[in-house]
Amino acid sequence: MRRVLVTTAVVGSLAALFVFGLLRGHPDRDIPSNLLGRTAPSFELPLYEHYTAEYGTVLSLAEERGRPMIINFWASWCGPCYDEAPHLERIWNRYRDDVLVIGVQTQDRDARAAGRAFIDQFGLSFPNVHDNDSRVSITYGLFGVPETFFVRADGTVQYKHAGPVTESMMVEQIEAMLR
Amino acid sequence: MFDLSLGILGSAGVALALTLSVYAAIAGAIGAHRRDARLQTSARLTSIAVFLALTTAVVAMMAALLTDDFSVKYVAEHSRIASPTWVKVVTLWAALEGSVLLWAWLLTGYTAVLAVTTPNTVLRPWAISIMHTVQVFFLGVVAFAANPFIVLANPPLDGPGANPLLQNHWMMAVHPVLMYLGFVGLTVPFAFAMAALITRRPGTEWMRLTRRWTLTGWGFLTAAIVSGGWWSYEVLGWGGFWAWDPVENVSIMPWLTATAFIHSVQVQERRRMLKAWNLLLIVLTFSLTLLGTFLIRSGVISSVHAFGDGPVGPYFLAFFVIVALASLTLVALRWDQVRDRSELDAAVSREGAFLGVNVLFLALAFAVLLGTIFPLLVEAATGARVTVGAPFFDQVSLPLWMLVFALMGVGPLLPWRRAETQTLKRNLAWMLAAAGVAAGIALALGMRKVYPTITIGLAGWNLASFALLLAGAIVPRARITGRSLASVFRAYAFEHKRRFGSMVVHLGAVIVALGIVGASGYRVDQQLRLEYGAPAAFQGYELVAIEPFAVREGGRVSVGVYIDVFVDGRQVTTLSPRINTFGDQQQPVPTASVRYTPGHDLYLSLAGSVSPDTDFVVIRAVQSPLVTWIWIGGVIMALGTAYTLSPVGARARSTVRSDSAAGAEA
Amino acid sequence: MRRRVPSARRLGPLVIVAMAIAALSAPHAMLAQEGALDRRVFEIANELRCPTCVSESVGQSSSPIAREMRIIIQEQLEGGATRTEILAFFQERYGDWILLEPPKRGLHLLVWVLPVAAAMVGVVVLGVLVRRWQAAGATPVAADPADLARVRAALERTDERPSHVDADAFGERHERGA
Repeated sequence: MRRVLVTTAVVGSLAALFVFGLLRGHPDRDIPSNLLGRTAPSFELPLYEHYTAEYGTVLSLAEERGRPMIINFWASWCGPCYDEAPHLERIWNRYRDDVLVIGVQTQDRDARAAGRAFIDQFGLSFPNVHDNDSRVSITYGLFGVPETFFVRADGTVQYKHAGPVTESMMVEQIEAMLR
Repeated sequence: MFDLSLGILGSAGVALALTLSVYAAIAGAIGAHRRDARLQTSARLTSIAVFLALTTAVVAMMAALLTDDFSVKYVAEHSRIASPTWVKVVTLWAALEGSVLLWAWLLTGYTAVLAVTTPNTVLRPWAISIMHTVQVFFLGVVAFAANPFIVLANPPLDGPGANPLLQNHWMMAVHPVLMYLGFVGLTVPFAFAMAALITRRPGTEWMRLTRRWTLTGWGFLTAAIVSGGWWSYEVLGWGGFWAWDPVENVSIMPWLTATAFIHSVQVQERRRMLKAWNLLLIVLTFSLTLLGTFLIRSGVISSVHAFGDGPVGPYFLAFFVIVALASLTLVALRWDQVRDRSELDAAVSREGAFLGVNVLFLALAFAVLLGTIFPLLVEAATGARVTVGAPFFDQVSLPLWMLVFALMGVGPLLPWRRAETQTLKRNLAWMLAAAGVAAGIALALGMRKVYPTITIGLAGWNLASFALLLAGAIVPRARITGRSLASVFRAYAFEHKRRFGSMVVHLGAVIVALGIVGASGYRVDQQLRLEYGAPAAFQGYELVAIEPFAVREGGRVSVGVYIDVFVDGRQVTTLSPRINTFGDQQQPVPTASVRYTPGHDLYLSLAGSVSPDTDFVVIRAVQSPLVTWIWIGGVIMALGTAYTLSPVGARARSTVRSDSAAGAEA
Repeated sequence: MRRRVPSARRLGPLVIVAMAIAALSAPHAMLAQEGALDRRVFEIANELRCPTCVSESVGQSSSPIAREMRIIIQEQLEGGATRTEILAFFQERYGDWILLEPPKRGLHLLVWVLPVAAAMVGVVVLGVLVRRWQAAGATPVAADPADLARVRAALERTDERPSHVDADAFGERHERGA
């Protein structure tokens, strides 16, 4: 009897582990960012011509510090990025006095035309830059696109979201940053 | 063309096979329990009917693939009109649903053969019932969870084609089939082991009846693993053959436990020891094939070749739990019969070596399993993410492999029961000397890495062991009979097939080890920028990029570069690394071009893009010493296994045997 | 739709074809930045996991991010960075996940300790069993006179003394039944 119990316990705990694995879904999703609580790395990237009048030709993150920021990484080939773009635009229109939204096109080499089409399709009015060699994506430890970083006014990273963002979850994060 | 839709025909075949198999499992069990010969025979004959029914389904699928019948869902999702015929054939097992169908089909085939060929013993009816129970699971998955025969109301005009990585190399026609033949082969000893427990006859009968099946399964699994390595080498574009990816790990785990099993059954056959241990090993081996399938088919663990996460994961998990619990409980219930009342004369003996190698293989299997599921374990415990990759597996497994190879040299030289100290010392002295010479040569040639040097030493150690084995077997006979050494050798190899076959397999393993040492210890991996027409130096070669090319063949577009290869100013070959694109699939597959030589391979793959308006190309150049010997060693291992199993010479042996058997007992 | 895999499904087949062509024949600007990489680059890249791939190392993968990471490694090597510093650079950004060799600290220690512990337990258990079995084997067994007679007869029949090595052709005895 003792042997039966031991076997059941071993097989059962293995099974429990795998059931956890099945329930938690894809293994490489939602990997926590190593940047949480640390200063968001600065970068300087060329802006799309839509925004040069207001922001100049190059956007420097260091110069924009002082207010909360939402840094959204996207690519023209990425399906979910098309889903979330309107949400970002609406959030920008609602909070533009308090929060800066920055779009970073990354992991999308030599795709300026596609990037332009993406921006025009959604009429994105927040500044969008192009990270042509994906260096900034590596600096931010990106596992894919879209990923969105919420940066507090003091420059520290409050939260990273993997996958498409929605308006309601962004509002929650923004309220926390503004508090 | 077909009045009856192939999809419906296939579904009917699967449904019929499933129904019949359920009947055979139940009738077989009742027949066995009541000792009802008619029911037993009925279950046996049903095995053949199940095989025929499922063969109909497989033929229907093959016909659907070959005739581009896109009304069948599987064909619509995984095949393409423009694919060459061999790709369409291979598509049968290139995706999840088809590969489960193939697995089930091979299982029904094995069961049918088993039903016809196994001698009538008390074990047979139970074993056949258990084979059918396993079969019911697979057929159930095919029928309900992953049915490839679903008929589409609106069939598409063409499909996307098979996974590009799979259709990029003909090895894909071979590797999965070998793998499933291996897995299925190892189901047979499992079924007989369970039958032995049920009938309370946990002696050696079940392992004698399944010895050929076990070796067949092991041989196929070995061949599958080596051919999978070759596939990776040719297709994945980085010049490696083993990356400790989960899919590779789950194929080597049952291999490790099966290897332990084929060694430790000999101890039971010979010395009546390790009854419980052998039962546990075969349960473990069979469970690991199920667990492995679950791990890579459920998306629980990320793997580079986890082709198509499907809905079957939970089913395999449930079946694994059922099989593990039921069979281990059965072992526990029969504990009084299976526990060993063993005797051992001396630790330094053949059985001692087998016991040692068992511990090593089990430790290896445990390390591989732990490393594979550790990220999941950490995530469940703390939520943190960690990766366990090649550097871990190398560091943990290499010391164990060294010990395996050390024992492999000693074990076959030791007699059963007790070794004579005198001869043992003499043999060890020879082997140590050979190991020293081999390692000394390696050091003199400039090798400084620890494990490669030890492995070379162990190769010398094992070669000396082979020489001593053969000399000990042949020289005295030649002296006594006065025949030539060659003719005695031939007779020996002919008469002692198990012994000689195992030596061949061990020799193959040594050759594989040497290949791995060269290819992973001393590979040179570099990225080069080649201007067209300008020679670039790489490891004694001069590489000259000639011109880019683009060809379209068999629904595949290849874009690449011709590169002339020179050694000492003399052109030796032209290589053509390329990028293949299949139909509409966006995933371009970089395909390497290799110059094979016995000393080393020159492996070129494109690291950048190719365009007619640039004056250079970026390539990845890999020099892999001795890598070909891995494949050669693998073939030798498979041939050694086949030799052991071959019926040739069976008659010649019987005359000798009564003498030698009696002699061995003395 | 998988997030990580470039997908142009929603862009229609035309774009896919255009992309395939772009992938195969990328413009000059992109190629100009790529060049030769030292062999040390791959040695370090083989210790890093490619963040955008499924279970591949940076050394193995041909994905754009892996290529860019190899260039970063090359640059850092040229700048005099050591292997440890380069690995730390990526670990700072991606966490422990990026290292193919789990760091030997905290919970990760388990994966290093357990296999060694398991092997040692195996050896100890085997040692105990061997001693027990040897004790059992030391007690003399009464031999069946009939067996002894058969053995003696067999010994007289064979003039050949089996040497220590080829004595048995293992398990041969049982092959008769198989």
